[in-house]
Amino acid sequence: MILTPNILARLVAIVIGGVVLQLSFFSQVALFHVSPDLLPALVVVLGLLGGSLTGAVCGFSAGFLLDCLLIVPLGGGSLVLLGTGYLAGLFRERFEIHSALVPPLLCMALTLFAELGFGAVKVMLGFDAPVSTLVVRDVLLKSIFAFFLGWGLYAGLRRVLRPALVEEATVRRRGRRRRPRLPRAERGRRPRAMRA
Amino acid sequence: MYRKQVRRRRAVLALLIVGSFVLLTVTYGQGSDGVQRGVSTIFSPLQSVADRALKPARDLVNWFDETFDAKGRNERLHDELEAAREQAVGSQAALAENEQLRNLVGLDRGGAIPSGYDPVTARVIARSPTVWFADVTVDVGSGDGVEVDDPVVSGDGLIGTVAAVTGSTARVTLIADSSSAVSAKIVPSGVQGVLKPSVGDPGDLVLDFLDSEKRVGKGQSVVTAGWRAEELESNYPPNLPIGEVTEASLVEQEAQQQVHVRPFADLRELDLVQVLTGGSRG
Repeated sequence: MILTPNILARLVAIVIGGVVLQLSFFSQVALFHVSPDLLPALVVVLGLLGGSLTGAVCGFSAGFLLDCLLIVPLGGGSLVLLGTGYLAGLFRERFEIHSALVPPLLCMALTLFAELGFGAVKVMLGFDAPVSTLVVRDVLLKSIFAFFLGWGLYAGLRRVLRPALVEEATVRRRGRRRRPRLPRAERGRRPRAMRA
Repeated sequence: MYRKQVRRRRAVLALLIVGSFVLLTVTYGQGSDGVQRGVSTIFSPLQSVADRALKPARDLVNWFDETFDAKGRNERLHDELEAAREQAVGSQAALAENEQLRNLVGLDRGGAIPSGYDPVTARVIARSPTVWFADVTVDVGSGDGVEVDDPVVSGDGLIGTVAAVTGSTARVTLIADSSSAVSAKIVPSGVQGVLKPSVGDPGDLVLDFLDSEKRVGKGQSVVTAGWRAEELESNYPPNLPIGEVTEASLVEQEAQQQVHVRPFADLRELDLVQVLTGGSRG
């Protein structure tokens, strides 16, 4: 990812917008009694577009902001989401994304990872209660929701971050190179048909 | 060049992981620190605006969910209505008797909220996104008189307690959170126990440590016990409604000394709540 001040501002806005949207909307709606979790999918998409470092930093920031706004011990959300973003970025660096299904499937798998990670953090902080089997249903449904969220997020964020994407820049350069070069005298003039 | 990049990437990753663990270690067990208070103060107006702006969209999505759910709920409500009709006759008499007794002893309290508490109405503006933490954030804080450990109720009954406070917001740990434990009693039998959650299922709480010699029946109501021992006192005032017993098998009562309780309040869909400030906790 080509990081410019403009792109950094966009990333900050995406992370803040994602956290506020999660807390104000997604956490408070229920589909089949389960609230969708946007943040792991968002971090996965950022990792896929920007690489492991971008994924990790965005994940850490999103987790930190989430913990701050929920007034819970800091660090838990950061740890889980930075791992999620890093893994997504690592996938992008190691493998080619051949199919349009890869990002949503990765969102689904890494949301499952993130939910288990949140569970592990909870256990680490002290856990003294029976666990209902409904947790399994909730976690699986959250992963399925993440599939659809990831689909939309990948398409949307790819468009928003297009100027910063390395492969997009390469494609643009190739496109420019393929265009036939006009003689110096013809440059800047409209084609004959258009003039008529 | 590539090696340098990899080294830098690993260094940043290590720094972030160490940072997360340091933050966890430093902030664990504390209510709220300066950073959280600052961030919360900056973002709470934005959250409030987003909360109000997104309410129609939330209602729309929840409407779909409720429609799916309505069919099953309809049958259950029919059964409950029948049982409620039978109880209503007895309750009317009990209410009248209760009113007379209240007047006799000079109690002028209208509802379940005991005197000495000042209810502060709050709106839920955020909710923990994972299934492992049952917390909500409300839009009142220390500026409104809210303190840590204040009990929080909805229109249906107890929902939790304040766990952390900033100037304008507060975190409420719901009774469905794994860290929650409420001393409760069953009415009218008076059997006492500790109400703990079953993580992942906010509609099922477990009333534990019951006296195995006393029988508890399905449908009996559970309220806060509100104990007091010398200078120590429960965080919860007595007789706040919590829920009703849904499962009370003899085997479970004798072997594990526990019964299952469904909370009156729908902990998944909280909008307006009341924080009971003040009180006389020791």
